Amino acid sequence: MNSSSGAGGMATSSSAGIKIVGAGGGGGGGAGGSGGGGRSWPSTTSVSASGKRIQREMTELNMDPPPDCSAGPKGDNLYHWVATLIGPHGTPYHGGIFFLDITFPGDYPFKPPKVVFKTRIYHCNVDSTGNVSLDILKDSWSPALTISKVLIALVSIFTNPDTYKPLVPGIAHLYSTDRAKHDELAAEWTMRFAR
Amino acid sequence: MFKSNNVTARIFQRQICTPAPGTSIYSARRFYENIVPSCTIYDVECPDQSFRKFTEDGLYLISFSRNHQELIVYRPRWLSFSCKEEDCDTHGLPLKAKKFEGFFTQLYTVTLASSGELICKDFFLYSETYQFGLFATSTAQIHDAPAVGGAVQGVPSVEKITFHLLRLEDGAVLDERVFCNDYVNLAHSMGVFLYDDLLAIVSLRYQRIHILQVRESGNLVDVQTIGEFCHEDDELFLYSNVQSMMNPDKSKLHEGPVNHVANGLHRNQPVGETPFLTGIKQRLLSFIFQGIWNEETDPSLRMQCLKKKFYFHFQDYVDLIIWKVQFLDRHHLLIKFGSVDGGVSRNADNQPAFFAVYNMETTEIVAFYQNSTDELYLLFELFCDHFHVSGKSSLHMNFISTHSNNIHALEQLRSNKNKACSFSQFVKKMLSSLPFSCQSQSPSPYFDQSLFRYDEKLISATDRHRQSTDHPIKFISRRQPNILKFKIKTGPEAGNTDSGTKKISSFIFHPFLPLALSIQQTLFLQPAVVNIHFRR
Repeated sequence: MNSSSGAGGMATSSSAGIKIVGAGGGGGGGAGGSGGGGRSWPSTTSVSASGKRIQREMTELNMDPPPDCSAGPKGDNLYHWVATLIGPHGTPYHGGIFFLDITFPGDYPFKPPKVVFKTRIYHCNVDSTGNVSLDILKDSWSPALTISKVLIALVSIFTNPDTYKPLVPGIAHLYSTDRAKHDELAAEWTMRFAR
Repeated sequence: MFKSNNVTARIFQRQICTPAPGTSIYSARRFYENIVPSCTIYDVECPDQSFRKFTEDGLYLISFSRNHQELIVYRPRWLSFSCKEEDCDTHGLPLKAKKFEGFFTQLYTVTLASSGELICKDFFLYSETYQFGLFATSTAQIHDAPAVGGAVQGVPSVEKITFHLLRLEDGAVLDERVFCNDYVNLAHSMGVFLYDDLLAIVSLRYQRIHILQVRESGNLVDVQTIGEFCHEDDELFLYSNVQSMMNPDKSKLHEGPVNHVANGLHRNQPVGETPFLTGIKQRLLSFIFQGIWNEETDPSLRMQCLKKKFYFHFQDYVDLIIWKVQFLDRHHLLIKFGSVDGGVSRNADNQPAFFAVYNMETTEIVAFYQNSTDELYLLFELFCDHFHVSGKSSLHMNFISTHSNNIHALEQLRSNKNKACSFSQFVKKMLSSLPFSCQSQSPSPYFDQSLFRYDEKLISATDRHRQSTDHPIKFISRRQPNILKFKIKTGPEAGNTDSGTKKISSFIFHPFLPLALSIQQTLFLQPAVVNIHFRR
C-alpha cells in the first residue's frame, strides 16, 4: 500500500515510522482481513495493534470517503497523517483548501488523534497555533470513533461552529452578535490565507 | 535580400530594394557579415581590473578594481588617428592602439565597498530605461550559520549584503538596500531579476521574494514580499485582526489585560516561526491538491490517487525551497523550487526540482511542473523567447538567437536531443537553465546564429568564464559555410609558453559595435592578458 512506485515521481522521503512489511498491493487486505476473527495478534509481524487499526481505518476511508475532505499518511509514517478539508459552499470558508496535521498516539484508538490546522483560519474553535477544540477529540472520544468520523466532525465545524466552548472567545462573540461581520471576516481570511 | 557579399554592392542594393515587411532590421544586420572585429591587438597595456560587461546600450563599460572596492566606468571610444602619407592602409597602427586608453575613456571611479564589504564582481544589472546600474557588495559568507528566526537550515548566511543603485551618467549613488544576515545568490546575478522597472530579489535564507520598483527618481521602493504572505497587506491585516479580536467590543477598549491568544498570530512571535504553512506553500499545495482532486471523479479512486501522489509526498513538498525566480511579464513569476542542498550547490542538474508559474496580482499558482516534465520542455522548445524576457525597452535583446527564433539553433538542439541517451535526462538538462538569469546574454550581432557559426563550447552569447584554448576561435559565415569571417584569439600573440597551467577566458562584446575584449586569466593571481578585437 505504501509502495512508492507510480507516485508523483519524487524521491521518497524515509521519515521515521513503521514500515508495513509486505503489505502487498491489495488494499490493506493483509492487515485488516483477519481483524474480526477470534485469533490472537500474530507476534511475528512488526505491525502493532494501533498500526493495524489505522490500516483498517485507512481502507475504510478509501472505500467510502466522506464528502469535501480527504486524508492520508505523510510519507511512510502511518501515525502521521495529513487531512485536507474543502471549504463547503454556502459558508464563508468556500474557496478555501485547509490542510491539517493528524497525529495518532501509540495507544490509538484508546487515545484520540491530535489535530492541528496548518492553514490559517478565522474560526472560534481554532486557536492561534492551529489547535482545534472538538469534543470528540477530547472528553467525548471513544475508541469506536474512526478517522472518517473525525473528518466528518471537522468538516461540520465549517457550518456549525461551537460557540459555547470556543477557543477564541472574540470570534465566538462576533459570531453570535454580528453574524454578517463574522462571515465577512472569515471569508476574507479564507481568500487571503486558505486559497 | 543581398545577392552579393561585397559591401559596396550591398549598399547599392539597399538603396534600390525594399526588404520584405518587418525584415528591415534583419537585412540591416546582414552588414555585420562585412564588418567584423577581425583585427586583434594582443596584450593591451591595460589597468589591472576586472572587466565586467558593456551596458546594453553600449554606452558604458563596467569594471571593478582588483581589491573589489571600487567601480570604474569607461566610455567606449573608437580608435582614431591621422596619417599624413598616401598609402594609409599599409601603415601600422599608432602606438596608442596598444593602450587600453586608446579605445576607452574613464568616466569616473566610485568606491562602493565599505567596512568589510567587497564588490561582488559577478553581479551587475542595468536598467536601460533610466540608465541606472545595480551593483552589490557583501561581507564574507558564514557557512554553518544557525537557522534562527525562521531561516532555512543549511543555507549560508551573509552578515550584510548591500545593493547600490547608481546613475551611470555620473556615478551618483541614488539608493541602497541592505539585507542583513541573509543570503542572496549573487553569482551571475542568479538571485536577482530586473524586468523593466521591477526588481525581484530572492532571499534564499528566509524564503522571500522581495519585489521592488526602481523609480525614475532613483529610489528603490518596496512593492511586496512574497513568502510567508502573498498579498502585500496580509501581515497588516493579520495584526489588525488580532487587535480587534482582543477587543471584540469597542467599549471595552481600555480594559485590563487582554487575551493574547487570538487567532492567527502571537504578537511577540517572530515571523517565520508560526506553525502554519507559508503563504506561497499554501497556494502551491492547494494547487497540487486541486489538480489531483479534479482529475478523478470517482471518490474512492480519487482517494487512492491523493494518497499516492499527494499525501505520500506532502512533507517533500513542504520542504521545498525557492531556488530561483524570473519574471515572465509584469505579473507572472517563474519560480523554481528544490531541496535545500540543490539551492546552494552549484551543479544541481540532477536534483529533483519543480517549476511554478505564480501570478503576483491574483496570488495564484497558474501552473506547476516537475523538472522532468515533457510538457514544460515542449513549451520551452517552442516558446523559448517567452522565457527570455528583457522588458520592453531593449531593442537589441530581441535578436538574441534561441532555438525558438533561429533555425540553426533549433537544428543544434534537435541534434543534441537525438544524441542524448535518455530523453528524460535531456529534458532535465535543458530545463536546468530555467529560470533564466537576468541579462546573462550578450546581444552582440556576432553571436547571431543566422549570421555566424562558431563553437559554442568555446564562446557563446551566454556570459560565462570558459576554459581557454590556444587555438583561435573561428567565426564562419553561416551562408557560405567555407568562408572564415574572423577569429578571436585569447592570450598573448605568440601563444602561452606554460601550456601546462589552466587558463580561463572571458569575452566582453560590445552590443552593436565591432569591438570586443577577450580576457585570459591563469588561476594564480597574475594580471590578465587582455586583447582588443576590433575592425581596423
